Amino acid sequence: MIMIRSIVRPEKSDKVLADLMDAGFPAVTRMSVVGRGKQRGIKIGEITYDELPKDLLFTVVKDKDKDFVIKTVIKAARSGGKGAFGDGKIFVTPVDEIYTISSGIRETDSGETEEVKI
Amino acid sequence: MKEVMAIIRMNMMNQTKRALADAGISSLTARDALGRGKGLVDMTLLKGAEQGYEEAISQLGQSQRLIPKRILFIVVKEKMVEKTVKTIIKVNQTGKSGDGKIFVMPVRDSVRVRTGEKGANTLDD
Repeated sequence: MIMIRSIVRPEKSDKVLADLMDAGFPAVTRMSVVGRGKQRGIKIGEITYDELPKDLLFTVVKDKDKDFVIKTVIKAARSGGKGAFGDGKIFVTPVDEIYTISSGIRETDSGETEEVKI
Repeated sequence: MKEVMAIIRMNMMNQTKRALADAGISSLTARDALGRGKGLVDMTLLKGAEQGYEEAISQLGQSQRLIPKRILFIVVKEKMVEKTVKTIIKVNQTGKSGDGKIFVMPVRDSVRVRTGEKGANTLDD
């Protein structure tokens, strides 16, 4: 399993969420964050803004869905046809185990599921 | 080292913190987050729409509803993962949907900023 963390523009995050829902990936967590990228923020006149607001989206998907979800996010989060600076970044990390709290079911990378005894 | 990322209900935060501290897992980072799961239906909304409240009906049309949640990031040693996960499940399990999810991810290295130490001894026992 793979966790996809996407940092997108706040105004684009609704579109990303809607597109993910349409693509069949409803489960997402969203957080608002601030940050800067390799442009070192935005310089307007004398002032440099280096804490730009962004939205951070967490999605956990199966390995085979990785490329599709990333493409969906990229397509939805790009501004204009070619994209622009500040559209964001996507980071991919492995996830070893997933637990659903309500049922206590554990899923591992190999696809096995079992119930955890508490 | 593993990172345990747990998404839990807002009102379970205090119980979870206490239970984790009792279990010997004292360090954690928490944040507010919004999220959705497998696309569940909000029953209060449906009931309201059935009874003819216009507010509820207008909200039904929106495709995405995000629910406020708390998100915990805990980095622990390999041997503590099971204990952490079980503690969180025990406290947060009500059996209803919306209890949350726990993800376990590998962490490559950790550094204590104060001393510059590296590796697993930077974490609690």
